[in-house]
Amino acid sequence: MLEMMETKVGRDAPPPHLAVYGVRKSFGGVHALRGVDFEVARGEVMALVGDNGAGKSTLMKVLAGAHPADEGKFVMDDKEIEVASPHDAFSHGIQIVYQDLALCENLDVAANLSLGNEPVRPGWTFLPRFLRPIDELAMEEKALEAISRLQVRTLRSVRAKVGGLSGGQRQAIAIARAVGADSSVVLLDEPTAALGVAQTRQVLDVVKRLRETGHAVVYISHNLKDIFEVADRITVLRHGGNVATWRTEVTTPDEIVVAMTTGLNEGKQKDAG
Amino acid sequence: MPAETVASVAERFRLIRETRFGAFVPVLLALVAIWTYFGITEPAFISSRNFYFLFMQSAVVGTLAVGITIVLLLGDIDLSAAAGAGVCAALMAVLIVAGVPGPIACLAAIVLGIVLGSMQGLLVAYVGIPAFVVTLAGLLGFQGLMLKILGIQGAINMRDPFVRGLTTISLPPLAGWGLAAACIGLFALFLLRNQAQRKRRGLELDTVVTTWGQIAFFSLMVGAAVLTLNSYRGVPLMVVLLIGITALLGWVTTSTPFGRSIFAAGGNAESARRVGINVRHIRVAAFGLVGMMAAVAGIVGASRYASVSFNAFAGGPLLLEAIGAAVIGGTSLFGGRGSVWNAILGALVIGSLGNGLDLSGASAADKLMFSGAILLLAVAIDAVSRSGAVQAR
Repeated sequence: MLEMMETKVGRDAPPPHLAVYGVRKSFGGVHALRGVDFEVARGEVMALVGDNGAGKSTLMKVLAGAHPADEGKFVMDDKEIEVASPHDAFSHGIQIVYQDLALCENLDVAANLSLGNEPVRPGWTFLPRFLRPIDELAMEEKALEAISRLQVRTLRSVRAKVGGLSGGQRQAIAIARAVGADSSVVLLDEPTAALGVAQTRQVLDVVKRLRETGHAVVYISHNLKDIFEVADRITVLRHGGNVATWRTEVTTPDEIVVAMTTGLNEGKQKDAG
Repeated sequence: MPAETVASVAERFRLIRETRFGAFVPVLLALVAIWTYFGITEPAFISSRNFYFLFMQSAVVGTLAVGITIVLLLGDIDLSAAAGAGVCAALMAVLIVAGVPGPIACLAAIVLGIVLGSMQGLLVAYVGIPAFVVTLAGLLGFQGLMLKILGIQGAINMRDPFVRGLTTISLPPLAGWGLAAACIGLFALFLLRNQAQRKRRGLELDTVVTTWGQIAFFSLMVGAAVLTLNSYRGVPLMVVLLIGITALLGWVTTSTPFGRSIFAAGGNAESARRVGINVRHIRVAAFGLVGMMAAVAGIVGASRYASVSFNAFAGGPLLLEAIGAAVIGGTSLFGGRGSVWNAILGALVIGSLGNGLDLSGASAADKLMFSGAILLLAVAIDAVSRSGAVQAR
């Protein structure tokens, strides 16, 4: 199985920015990941697909530090790193946008983008940082910059409450928050799952912008149409293991569906499991 | 997007509520309606003397409501605030009787309030008991503690000039006007400077009408209040203190990272946790602040009633009026929405209603039923505007 993967990724693959090798993760008796290899390069959108229970979400959470791996090696730019907590992931520039987005609907866009890291006005040093006045103007400038970097055109004001925004706009805000925090790897969990056609278009445009700005993007989705539009490479997982990684232009949705549902070779896959 | 093109009445109403003064609109309308009604039916209601006493009567409820607003913002509730106020007032009274100077006794009461509040906060945040249960236990326990401190008579008279002075001193008319002018000047300066900075940095600007509208609105409110109070005895020191404390808490809750965390945790605790906000610390601090405000309310109550008695604080009317005031002011029981300023306006609504019904000779039964109806109406508005926000997705 491993050999097959090497032949598929092999020569054409760009040098990875973040790579993990042999990741294992069990929950009680359930082996969610059984030695998965995965990599993503800068300026690349790597799609992660698989049937339900294939281990996509678990791998995503391992990458984000939300579930520490039982076993496995993390390599970032050829240096081995440790990711055992969300904070570790954050400090290495790995950001995740969960499906539920985790935005505060009662706050405005600018406040959401700076949440937990609000700029404060200079001076006021006699107060502890959490009681110093927030520099609202700097916060808005920061938000405008993040929004314009991702070219979220439909957003009228960074002072609008998130509660009044559309699904696509919210997704874009959540992505902007992840990107704003000095990140190099952005993990997107089903970003278009609940969106209509126009909203999906908007989010896919944002994902393309992320690639242009040199981020390493990991994109989980069930929607192969979206994946074939936006991804550079596609990694298929099945039963907690790798099936293979393809470059998008040399494969077809049919091939991916077959890989997701039956693996490359039914017999071998069963042996591996 | 259909929800954007079809701006329903509810949607517009919600948008108005999201502006700086917009959240005041419903409660101000309620206040105007109540004042108009009683102004017509009971001419004595709109006398400046009556307004003076209305402001003073609302001070205790208002102080407590400002504190309770802070936990409501988190989506929690504090049922023990009034009983806590009683405990703090009782401690202060006992200390003063024992010969401790008034200011130090007040300080001790405030420290006790913060400790009691933070302890409840610890139980809520770290042990994970729902705030409702913790503070219900607090309500019972504090009532007992208060009885214990007050001793068998259940009341201590308050003659200390410092404490009494808090609610008996009024500013001379000229000082009242000076203060009003200073407030209006600072408000205008702040808004205009903010606007100028926005222009310089190329940020989105408020329209000129909005800016000057806000200044005019603020001036009108402050001016009318000072004019009314000055034509009786002048602006009470208590009102100045209450507005000062509210301004401070208003600033802390809206303009500091700490306050932002309160709103974030109340709006979406999971989101707050993920961005690295320690929701537990925030919760303990919020309960500590409620405890502090409860102690202040206890001191104000002791000063106003010239005694500390079990009946004045325990039982429930004070607590329910304070929670009612916060909610009528527009603070959501679901967390994440509201403001301490609204609590003051809510306290005025409750106070006006009680005062007006008293003047018109309504029975206690009518008063209770009226208060219940108003509270229900306020929560209904909250629930409707909340579901409006959900539908706008």
